Amino acid sequence: MSLLQVDKLGVTYPGQSQPALHQVSLSLARDELLVALGPSGCGKSTLLGVLAGFIAPSQGRVLFAGQPVTAPGVERAVVFQHDALLPWLNVHDNVAFGLRLQGADAAARERIVADTLRLVGLADVASKRTWQLSGGMRQRVGIARALASRSQVLLLDEPFGALDAFTREQMQQLLLRVWQQSQRGVFLITHDIEEALFLATELVLMSPGPGRIVQRLRPTFNQRYRAGEDVRAIKSDPAFIALRESLLHSLFRQGHEEAA
Amino acid sequence: MPTTPPALIAVPDTLDFGNPPAPSAPAGRRWQPQAAHWAALSIASLLLLWWALTASGLIAPLFLPPPQAVLARFGELLAGGYMDATLPQHLLASLQRMLLALLAAVVVGIPLGIVIGVFPLARHLLDPVIEFYRPLPPLAYLPLIVIWFGIGELSKVLLIFLAILAPVLIATAHGVTSVSQLRRQAALSLGASRWQLLRHVILPGALPEIITGVRIGLGAGWSTLVAAELIAATRGLGFMIQSAAQFLVTDVVVLGIIVIALVAFALELGLRQLQQRLTPWHGQHH
Ligand SMILES: Nc1ncnc2c1ncn2[C@@H]1O[C@H](COP(=O)(O)OP(=O)(O)OP(=O)(O)O)[C@@H](O)[C@H]1O
Ligand SMILES: [Mg+2]
Repeated sequence: MSLLQVDKLGVTYPGQSQPALHQVSLSLARDELLVALGPSGCGKSTLLGVLAGFIAPSQGRVLFAGQPVTAPGVERAVVFQHDALLPWLNVHDNVAFGLRLQGADAAARERIVADTLRLVGLADVASKRTWQLSGGMRQRVGIARALASRSQVLLLDEPFGALDAFTREQMQQLLLRVWQQSQRGVFLITHDIEEALFLATELVLMSPGPGRIVQRLRPTFNQRYRAGEDVRAIKSDPAFIALRESLLHSLFRQGHEEAA
Repeated sequence: MPTTPPALIAVPDTLDFGNPPAPSAPAGRRWQPQAAHWAALSIASLLLLWWALTASGLIAPLFLPPPQAVLARFGELLAGGYMDATLPQHLLASLQRMLLALLAAVVVGIPLGIVIGVFPLARHLLDPVIEFYRPLPPLAYLPLIVIWFGIGELSKVLLIFLAILAPVLIATAHGVTSVSQLRRQAALSLGASRWQLLRHVILPGALPEIITGVRIGLGAGWSTLVAAELIAATRGLGFMIQSAAQFLVTDVVVLGIIVIALVAFALELGLRQLQQRLTPWHGQHH
């Protein structure tokens, strides 16, 4: 059953002639990891903003569990590339922040926060301030904060975009573990093709001018990882490389059409 | 789980709290003693220059009294006083006015700044008022204040208050509006109400700038002290300086200037400490 349903969504920013999004349709179920891949300016963040309830659709509609999305809500938690964490709180309090705002019972809150910190491997640094952490750790705090809240889907906007290649790969594996164990639907934005192919159960390739979906894929590499196969083995598999090159080709072709 | 790298330590190596270290400064812990050394060197050279100029007889004591004369005055004023009040009494009178004005400016300026930052309408309405009075020299509207509010303490404190208010207001409003959009959005998705957003995200985020506003405001306040104490004062450092100037008692003038500078600097250091204590993340990369 799909949690998030997007029907023929269009978004035109005030004063812009060209829509940022045009006729975008997709759905996200609880056990899905939907990845939006595309070049800069193709409307990925706009799409996430609509799903989160920050931006109102100009056309079409977005439903969460059958109800129209009109405002931000706790069932749809966001994680951004540059952490939107609160530097005056320590790691524990950042992760507890959502539940505290929602007035959750203290004992339940502590249990959830402790579990979540353990899940993302931050139990040891719970009392540190966020600005004392590395970039990868800060992103884990962001993910933990979104998880600890009563969210049902996670919306991630290039969460690993600012990380080095090694940390990025670790974070991808962490995300898969989190996604599997937490039973949330995940919508992830990236412009890294390998990341998209490795993580996605459902992949949409987007193109700018106007922002729209130009290709849909259902990669299976994520399942192979969960079945125990090694990451490097998966990413160097000829099938993976072939898909990667074909997507790269599509992206380049888009670029040429843009230029023409 | 590996132990965390101690890369970004909590204690900044800078003397200038709240500001990133100057790019020219050498990195690491050698910076702080160096900054302190340079400051000491600069003050020592000024004193030496002062002493040399007066000792050589190039400048008459009427224009610049020698340091030892000012020091002697200091001892004299501690006990005997000048214009019917001792130096500590003058200092106390000025300090009271300053602190009262500061308190009022904080109590009025921060909430009003928040309102301006949160509601665009309030900004549109109040911005012209603030920008109208802010650039005016206090001496220009001093007569009006005297006509309206008399020659009592109220007028003196009001003049200083107005000088502190503008920087506090502007910094608060700016701090509130410049809290990152992403941080607001993330908090909304975690279930924050408008009030919770203000209380738990916007205000703490604006705090470093608010304290900076108070620091700047206090400086502006000191610079209007003399003007404020032109209004029929019988005590105060500004009053003391003016009276001494009328009788060409230059060493009292110099002494007054030095005391004001020292007290103002001490308050500034206190505020920097407070800023570092309350907002240790300020100036950190995050
Ligand atoms: N607030 C806004 N007002 C007007 N136009 C906007 C606004 N935000 C985005 N746009 C435009 O909408 C289009 C899509 O922007 P969006 O940020 O969604 O792209 P993106 O795919 O997330 O890009 P990137 O990969 O660089 O983050 C762009 O052309 C952008 O200039
Ligand atoms: Mg974007």
